[in-house]
Amino acid sequence: MTKKRTARRRSGKDPARDKHFARIFSEFRGEEGDLIPILQKTQERFGFIPREAVRRIARFLKISENQIYGVASFYSQFRFTAPGRNSIKVCLGTACHVRGGQILCDAVERELDLKPGGTTEDRRYDLERVACLGCCALAPVVQVNADIHSRMTVIRLKETLDKYE
Amino acid sequence: MSKRNDKVSISIDNSPFKVGSGLTILEAAEQNDVYIPTLCAHKELTPFGGCRMCIVEVEGMRGLPTACTTPVEEGMIIRTRTRQVQAERKEILQLILSEHTSSCLICEEKDECKGFMGTIRKAGVTTGCRYCPNDRACELQDVVEKMEIREIGYPVYYRNLRVEKDDPFYDRDYNLCILCGRCIRMCQEIRTANTLAFKQRGRYTVIGPAYERTHLEAGCEFCGACVSVCPTGALAEKVSKWEGKAEREQTTTCPFCGVGCQIRLQIRGDEVLGSLPEQDTLINDGQLCVKGRFCVAEVVNNHRRLRRPYRTQNNTRRELSWNEAIDLATERLSACSAEEFGMLISPNCSNEDLYIAQKFARVVMGSHNIDTSARWFYGTGLNGYLNLTQMAVPLSDLREASVILCLGLDTRFSRSVVGVELRKAIARGAKVLTINPRHHSLSVIAEKWIQPTSGTELSLIDSLVKLTPRKAKPSRASSKATIKGLSDELLAVAEMLKGASSPMILVGSEFLQHDESPQILESIKTLAQNTGAGVLPLPAQNNLFGSILMGTYPELLPGGFSSSSRKRLADLKKIWGLKIPGLPPAWEKKMFPVDKKLKVLYLVGEVPLDTLPESEFLIVQNIYPPDPWHAGDLALPAASFAEVDGTFINGEGRIQRVRKAVHPPGEALPDWEILCRIARKMGNKGFNFSSARKVHKEISSLVKGFGNFDKPSRKASPLTCEAELFIPRAKSKTMKTADKRFPLVLNTSVVEHTHRGFLLSTWVEGARELFPEGVLEVNSEDAKKAKISEGDEVVVTSANFEKTWPVRIVSEQPQGTMHVTLRQGESVGSNPHRVRIRKKNV
Ligand code: SF4
Ligand code: SF4
Ligand code: SF4
Ligand code: FES
Ligand code: FES
Repeated sequence: MTKKRTARRRSGKDPARDKHFARIFSEFRGEEGDLIPILQKTQERFGFIPREAVRRIARFLKISENQIYGVASFYSQFRFTAPGRNSIKVCLGTACHVRGGQILCDAVERELDLKPGGTTEDRRYDLERVACLGCCALAPVVQVNADIHSRMTVIRLKETLDKYE
Repeated sequence: MSKRNDKVSISIDNSPFKVGSGLTILEAAEQNDVYIPTLCAHKELTPFGGCRMCIVEVEGMRGLPTACTTPVEEGMIIRTRTRQVQAERKEILQLILSEHTSSCLICEEKDECKGFMGTIRKAGVTTGCRYCPNDRACELQDVVEKMEIREIGYPVYYRNLRVEKDDPFYDRDYNLCILCGRCIRMCQEIRTANTLAFKQRGRYTVIGPAYERTHLEAGCEFCGACVSVCPTGALAEKVSKWEGKAEREQTTTCPFCGVGCQIRLQIRGDEVLGSLPEQDTLINDGQLCVKGRFCVAEVVNNHRRLRRPYRTQNNTRRELSWNEAIDLATERLSACSAEEFGMLISPNCSNEDLYIAQKFARVVMGSHNIDTSARWFYGTGLNGYLNLTQMAVPLSDLREASVILCLGLDTRFSRSVVGVELRKAIARGAKVLTINPRHHSLSVIAEKWIQPTSGTELSLIDSLVKLTPRKAKPSRASSKATIKGLSDELLAVAEMLKGASSPMILVGSEFLQHDESPQILESIKTLAQNTGAGVLPLPAQNNLFGSILMGTYPELLPGGFSSSSRKRLADLKKIWGLKIPGLPPAWEKKMFPVDKKLKVLYLVGEVPLDTLPESEFLIVQNIYPPDPWHAGDLALPAASFAEVDGTFINGEGRIQRVRKAVHPPGEALPDWEILCRIARKMGNKGFNFSSARKVHKEISSLVKGFGNFDKPSRKASPLTCEAELFIPRAKSKTMKTADKRFPLVLNTSVVEHTHRGFLLSTWVEGARELFPEGVLEVNSEDAKKAKISEGDEVVVTSANFEKTWPVRIVSEQPQGTMHVTLRQGESVGSNPHRVRIRKKNV
């Protein structure tokens, strides 16, 4: 219960409230092409795409929740869990991949019991995979919030992450 | 653009061909027997161009275009087997195989291994690797064979995904999936159930519903269409998993509802493995619902089928030979007078069975005491329903209708082929309107969903009638009420109906248990007349029409004529060679089905229920043994629909053929044959039929439209029924107004998924999960108020009854209302009920 409440406070908006959706939908006519912009607005408002939103968008656009999820999960810009306090981005661009980006990603997953696109139970971290952060020379790269950590290794990973509360 | 029927000249592998323009290269090649390997293309689906197996070389085109997506053009020079094309295909196939458990496909020992697979050793030993339930029925295997792949030059990557077995009827092993997208296109384009989608991307792409939901939660209809098109074993039917390919097929008619889909039974040896839809029929073009697709095999091919006659005496069961059984029946029936006899036959039986049954009652027993369970199912609305069926239009009219009003229709698990047609109609611009108090499969896709609150159903339909007057004639007085809040919506619906050039009304089962159902059905009829709409009631019973036309009711003779009609009785005498007394006046006061102890009650394809009249001797003739608490005295094993020849009449009035596919289990016999044997034993003439065909011939002399057994009339024609059926008045009155003691409203419906008196969920494992009979659906707010949580036993009390049901919390259930689906034979009076609930004390 308390956990849920903090979640709401963090994202600031309660997705069960009609008024948010009324405002989002008011700009659209309910055509299929509206899906991506609606998703973007939804994410802007809530910080992620809550399940309730998917349900309501489905009713509004008369397409199924499954299709919406399919489209939304294709784009890495959309997330389906409330963001954590710190966001970890592991680069899997070509240079980082060659230099073990996937191993880093696996390590984060194992260490924090976290799936890409997910948030830890205590909301301390969320994890995303990204393609090329633009500093390939420093590969492999892990970004936490605004900080770029270059030449990352599995051993240094844990102590790096520990610094972020 | 050239027209579709124009021809263009092309050359494929140096041979010239003339093919229709508008075809794709793949279609052109297939028409001319040129093989191009494919994985993602499927003739029922739009081209996707995802697997790139079908690449070809086209002179003047850059790269290697995919044959399944590239249209032919005049003068095209196509090469399908050049070295470069073949090499690239092999490369692609190897890439696909590197992510697919495939050692069985490329194993060096493959051919030798096959020889040892059919081992007869008694111990379980591994004889050949089998990773996949589709082994030897797999398109990927075929392509690998044709492309002669011997090894894979890429590192093997196993995705290690959990095999999804949580849903009923089919399992999903996405480790075997090649992401061809056929299932998705099937689910989205043809079924438009939209359960499946590609999720994530790149290496992480998987197929499934949103989040980690199960198919059941995601709105899947369990139609199995995706399973049918999957080229690999990723999607596999649970019952026939590992069974391999069927040896033969038999086309027949689905017996599970009045739509009457054509199915192809899949048979190996003398066993039905499953059923697939027939293509190109006027009813179900390549589609089925969960009942027709997945329930057939388990119903027909169940180890608990009744195999031999048996007698139950002093709680012990003794098997009898057929001769003994018939002697026993003869003895009891001979000692029974016309009034002391009663017969109940299922409207799931074939016309031939129904005809013989009523002939048996009338000729052998001299009694009109024969009835079907339809009288209970439709209750006070039976006559109204029959009136509607007399206006029935063909289902194919849906394809032209511009506005379609659905009344109390839910197409998720039953009649879902109608749902497919509705969605197709929406896609071509038709408007679908739905009136249903409950959340249902059409509520998301319909243009307008009107949700009447309980008790306002009649006034709502009446308002529609008033809003669409034929002339400026006011309709019945009872309908003054206009409904607040809904009026705007209703006006819009009325406008659409009025303005439509070809409206249509579909009638489902939702309002049939309502205490005002006679008036509701009457108003539907007026509405149809006012708007010029075609009406199609979709009965739950597959052969309701047959039961009327064969005359398995006291009031009806074959042909749907009144059994008091002198003229008709005289006609019958000519054919039966026997004078039949007419139905005595005021029979309903004295006789069946009114409660009275009978001497013999004979159930054909029905099960004993508490609501049936008592009897000294109970004969139960069915495909399953009756449950031990209602065992009856004599059980006779009947053959199921897959084991007999005959005909059904579907809801459109179309006569359809039922064909024998396998032999009945044990000593079971067709229903008509058992009845004929007893009749002969009792010394009656006119029961010497050697086959259902002969019975059909006799029917044709009495009923119009019958006669051609092999090719029954394909035409849909509305029912003709001369007589009105007698309907006893409802005993308990429902409470119209709210009452402080009973703050909640309960609506009940009666299960529709019965076959020959049994619930499908008794015999089909997966059906248990889909059909929640005997579960009280409560709104989450109401549940919170009453401090009830999911799964609790709850006592429901009204002025008339007190019942206990387990609870399911459903957010879509409107607040203040509850719903429960009653088991067959369970009766609490008609809707709506005013009730209160409390948690049962433990
Ligand atoms: S069974 Fe039918 S509704 Fe369900 S996923 Fe497959 S195609 Fe879609
Ligand atoms: S499950 Fe079957 S049909 Fe669906 S994408 Fe995978 S292989 Fe193709
Ligand atoms: S819609 Fe009716 S006839 Fe068709 S498959 Fe389903 S139960 Fe059978
Ligand atoms: S690939 Fe990682 S920063 Fe460019
Ligand atoms: S069959 Fe043409 S791309 Fe798959």
